[in-house]
Amino acid sequence: MASGPIPILKIGPTLLATIQLDLHDSVVDTFQNDVLEEIEKTDSSGLIIDISALETVDSYVARILADTGKMAKLMGTTTVIVGMRPAVAATLVRMGYFMPGILTALSLQEGLELQADRSRAPEGS
Amino acid sequence: MQTDYMKILKLDEAERQSRINFFELTDEDFKRLAALKSFGERWTQQITDGLYELIMKHPDSRVFFPDEATLNRVKRMQNAYFLRLFSGVYDLEYLRDRLRVGAAHERIGMPPKLYLGAYRRYLALIHERLFDHFKGNSDEVSKAIESIRKIIFFDMAIAFDTYIAAYLETMTRHQAAIRELSTPVIKVHDRVLLLPIVGTVDTQRAQQIMETVLTQVVEQQAKVMILDIAGVPVVDTKVADHILQTTAAVKLLGSQAILTGISAAVARTVIQLGVELSNVPTRSKLSEGIELALGIVGKKITSTAKDDGKS
Repeated sequence: MASGPIPILKIGPTLLATIQLDLHDSVVDTFQNDVLEEIEKTDSSGLIIDISALETVDSYVARILADTGKMAKLMGTTTVIVGMRPAVAATLVRMGYFMPGILTALSLQEGLELQADRSRAPEGS
Repeated sequence: MQTDYMKILKLDEAERQSRINFFELTDEDFKRLAALKSFGERWTQQITDGLYELIMKHPDSRVFFPDEATLNRVKRMQNAYFLRLFSGVYDLEYLRDRLRVGAAHERIGMPPKLYLGAYRRYLALIHERLFDHFKGNSDEVSKAIESIRKIIFFDMAIAFDTYIAAYLETMTRHQAAIRELSTPVIKVHDRVLLLPIVGTVDTQRAQQIMETVLTQVVEQQAKVMILDIAGVPVVDTKVADHILQTTAAVKLLGSQAILTGISAAVARTVIQLGVELSNVPTRSKLSEGIELALGIVGKKITSTAKDDGKS
């Protein structure tokens, strides 16, 4: 299991990372490493990052999250970010940060469903 | 509920004192006014009659007093108002009384020009009678009229503050109503929301639209948010940008935005302006957008029985 402050759990073929505390730069870097290592170790097909507890997300954290998604993609794992708050979304788009190519879902439940759908569908859909 | 203008206008003892000072109302004025009490009682009816003669002669002001009963009532109030000028006491209770007068004029919709114009006649009527009262002693008359002028201007200032406060209040209320009406999010189906945008979209409104849309999407866990812009008269780069931001934010939440109501003119300008809308599903008709949205939540509109009358 990962050693960082953010627990990464494995549920079937999916990894679940729930971010419970506001992210500092160092925490978010560690998080990225932990996630990627976990993907390598477990050979998971999906990653869900739950940010519903976050009241603010700055551009650095947003970029790291999006980058982590792209890196995971290179390793064959699809990332879904779930539970973003309205205020966070509004701030991100106002900063011009649209997080292209990143899948999102309203809730953890929906994120899990989305991952399940994708694992059933053929590659690239 | 009656509006508390005393509170809105912050009329407290300090404010009262400040006004008294500015209008140069001195103890001497107060004494002089109090001494004119008998003058007031003697002439109030005549002066009130003279005032309403002007008011009833003019078509603009006449309409406020449609019948004899109303006229008599306001005349009685006018008499009371007049007598209070000579009470010699101009405390907070006096201010409250004057506020009521101002509020009453505002409530019936009497415009300030008529209020002011009538006051001019009022002063003239008082002036005439002061000559009689002081038996032509012009020194006494001018001193008295100066004191009366001060207290009347003092009163008028309060009445005008009431007018302005009432207008501001109405405006604030209307603005709140408009704000509320401007973003009516409609639930089309389970997890499908619709926001028809009607009217111009400026930065402030765009912000409000974004806020409402995002909050509603999360609150109702909407899978799809349809934004219908058929009612937006002009779609320029700024408006398009606002809409794009909103659709992008909806996407970040894990929902999907659909843009409908794209007219030929809007399609033309959007492309000519080089606005990139290709990340959002767009449709010209709202009905098509609703069908698309239902498809996303796994629903479909189908016809029921055949059109043969036997359902």
